[in-house]
Amino acid sequence: MSKPILVLDNVCMYFGGLKAVDNLSFTVNEGEIVGLIGPNGAGKTTVFNCITQFYKEYTGDIYFINNDVKKDLRDIKVTEIINQGLVRTFQNVELIPDLSILDNLLIGAHNQYETGIISHILRTKKAREEEQVLKEKAYEILKFLNIFELKDFYVKGQPYGVMKKIEIARTLMSNPKMIILDEPAAGLNDRETDELENLIYEIKKKFNTTILLIEHDMGFVMNICDRIVAINFGKFLAMDTPKNIQKNKDVQEAYLGSDA
Amino acid sequence: MTDFLRLLFNSLETGSVYALAALGIVLIFRTSRTTNFAQGLIGTFNAYIAAFLMLRFGFGIWTVALAALVTAFITGIVIDTLIIRPAAKVSPISKQIITLGIIMVLIGILPWFFGVDSMTLPRFIPTEYSLTIFGANLRYNTIFVIVLSTLLMGAMFWFIQFTKWGLATRVTASDETTSKLMGVPTKTVTMVSWATAAMLGTLAALFVAPRVSVYANMLLTVQISAFFAGTLGGFSTFFGPVVGAFIISFARNFTQFYISDIWGNVLVYTSILVFLYFKPYGIFGKKPTKKV
Amino acid sequence: MKILNQIENFFGTLSKRLTKHPIVPFLIFGFVIASIGFLPHTGFIRWGTMGIYAYIVIFTVVAMGLNLLLGFSGLISLGTAGFVGAGALGLGVFMNMGIPFEIAALLVLIIAGSIGALIGLFSLKVEGIYLAIATLFVGEILRQIYTQVEIFGGQAIRIGTVRFLGFINLSMINQTQRSFLFLIITILMVLMMIIMHNIVKSKTGRALMAISRSQHAAQAMGISLLKYRLTAFILATLFATFGGIMYGLYFQNVPTTAWTLDLSLFVIAMVVVGGLKSIYGTFLGVFIIHGVPNLWLKNVFGDISYIFSGILIILVIIFYPYGFIYIWYDLKKIYFKYKARWSKKKVTDHE
Repeated sequence: MSKPILVLDNVCMYFGGLKAVDNLSFTVNEGEIVGLIGPNGAGKTTVFNCITQFYKEYTGDIYFINNDVKKDLRDIKVTEIINQGLVRTFQNVELIPDLSILDNLLIGAHNQYETGIISHILRTKKAREEEQVLKEKAYEILKFLNIFELKDFYVKGQPYGVMKKIEIARTLMSNPKMIILDEPAAGLNDRETDELENLIYEIKKKFNTTILLIEHDMGFVMNICDRIVAINFGKFLAMDTPKNIQKNKDVQEAYLGSDA
Repeated sequence: MTDFLRLLFNSLETGSVYALAALGIVLIFRTSRTTNFAQGLIGTFNAYIAAFLMLRFGFGIWTVALAALVTAFITGIVIDTLIIRPAAKVSPISKQIITLGIIMVLIGILPWFFGVDSMTLPRFIPTEYSLTIFGANLRYNTIFVIVLSTLLMGAMFWFIQFTKWGLATRVTASDETTSKLMGVPTKTVTMVSWATAAMLGTLAALFVAPRVSVYANMLLTVQISAFFAGTLGGFSTFFGPVVGAFIISFARNFTQFYISDIWGNVLVYTSILVFLYFKPYGIFGKKPTKKV
Repeated sequence: MKILNQIENFFGTLSKRLTKHPIVPFLIFGFVIASIGFLPHTGFIRWGTMGIYAYIVIFTVVAMGLNLLLGFSGLISLGTAGFVGAGALGLGVFMNMGIPFEIAALLVLIIAGSIGALIGLFSLKVEGIYLAIATLFVGEILRQIYTQVEIFGGQAIRIGTVRFLGFINLSMINQTQRSFLFLIITILMVLMMIIMHNIVKSKTGRALMAISRSQHAAQAMGISLLKYRLTAFILATLFATFGGIMYGLYFQNVPTTAWTLDLSLFVIAMVVVGGLKSIYGTFLGVFIIHGVPNLWLKNVFGDISYIFSGILIILVIIFYPYGFIYIWYDLKKIYFKYKARWSKKKVTDHE
């Protein structure tokens, strides 16, 4: 029996007079991989920004259910979303270019530090041990993603595919229950896309997470997702398995235009 | 009443000077993306030239002022070509430090070219020509400064708003890369901006000179006030800083006279800070939009 | 034999741990700098130039604080001079009230740190050039207060002899004591360098960089803008004020008129010219901006030396936009290039 983990209930978001998200409702269940698709400007990233509380001005409700505790995300600050077990990546890779890859991963573990700035200045035993534990964790994840050898290099100058991986690796540092990926395959070549496909499966298995993603590469979405939500002009079109989505009239119309 | 009028005339005069300097700073901020700390010193440098010409050859104030404006134009072009353009790719903060470098070069040049004796410049209209209104003395020179500055600023706004070159300046200010791709001669625009800014600074220096004599730091207060004016009015418009300049000049003169000589400035600055907390982009400024 | 081996092992790992320990280079660096304080006794340098070296040591601390802002947090302050002045003058005021040196220093740090916190709060609302000029307002307010409020003594405030740790009397006038003073400020500088190093290598340093490089990513990773803006400004003001306290401790006669915008700009120049995000780069920057003109150029060129300093700043920024310290990477590159060429040649020679 699948349990819901993320519930959107009648979410609306306006920018001035423009309706970016219009009465959108859908539910993501624990352990699923769900794709959010729609033509350009359909409001997909806006949905992500509402879920992760970058936008607070939406109407309707967004709930996150973790260990049977249901929370209204609106009550949670944007910087505390990650503590709920919900973490995201960005459409344009948002990494720290002049930090090493390892340090970029440690930023993902920011909230797991218990020692404060004074212990860091004094380099107390506890602070050093804590840093070491988190570094080990980062090593594990980097090895899992096959980029361990690069750990001490700056992010600046790395190929795009590697940067995308680092961003995913950073989300894994926070022990996420659910990962939200904004166009993970954009800008990757076919081989890298295939690799990413496997990687997302592996992540779901190994880290036991739920994944919600936006992607334009239809082949990728159809292969990987358990269910797909299609939206257009911020409106809900359909939510179904990839096969049924392909057959759905409304979705075809949104992408190809109506025959009439 | 007398005190009030005296303060009013005085504030209008200093306000005009601040406004000229502020316009120069905004012009460069908008076209070169840098806060030009050398604005004051570039003006001072050309005021030195004027004073030197007067001392050495006995020219009148109008002649040397004209000469100083010409040299200011040249100074602006030289600085842009030799220093600012090669540093086009440098970060804005580093560019600010480049303007500090310009300050140091000019400070080194001053005693070398002009000697260490202090020089003076007279008013454009001699002091004896003045009116008295309700007991307050109003010099014709003050009227001249206010009127000329207002006319100049009016002409500049007209130029920026209604001519082809003004349009080029505005588009360069809003997005240099796109403007360049659209065929706007951004290099010329930047160069002319530096030249114009240098002339505005020089004019401010010529107006201030009779009151303080000509020395290296003569424009320090003017320059700092001009920065404050830009912040108060908002750097994203050309007229905001002018309004800011007059507000600062009035607030300062009146608080210093009616409240306290020491705490007047502190009070004005603190109130502007509090104001900025609520209007972070100045009176007329707009918040730039950012995308997640 | 076995015991010998064990001893060897012990010292082997010890020396390995020592050379790998991050603070060792700072200690060596400090040792080299501290030795300058004793050179005048041997006649290698004149007593007169010691003030310049002390100034370099002091402003390294000030500039490191600004580097935390500028290099790591992407923020700028045009009010640094005001806080250095706060350290030096505040120390003087409190000590003239009869408060012991250590407590006076602590009081000054607390006061300046609170102002820094206020600026940090302010920075959440105001950004870019507006924030920069807001810090200039703060600097100007402080400057007005120093020059016009009576307790700062008008032109200058005299601290006189400092009683360090309650019993060591230290005066600028006595030459032996001056060497000792120099030693103390060098130790303090090394201490601040180590603190800086530990901060920037910790989660605080990473968080500061994350906020300035990608605010959205920082927020998504749970980094609080409020907390780290406050941290950045408090740290920067504390470093500046600490530098001011060192100034008071060493020079013992503090002018009230020196804390102007020009000085703040010079501190920025030190960071930009020396090396953003680099601790040794900061020292190098202070040395280039203050040391080179005052130690050498002024003797040779007099007032015209300003022209050379100005040109130096402009050239360094155009050719090394991240700071002169990064010339080190270029030198390394050249070295490896020639090394590779040389070893190739050797191989071909053998054939």
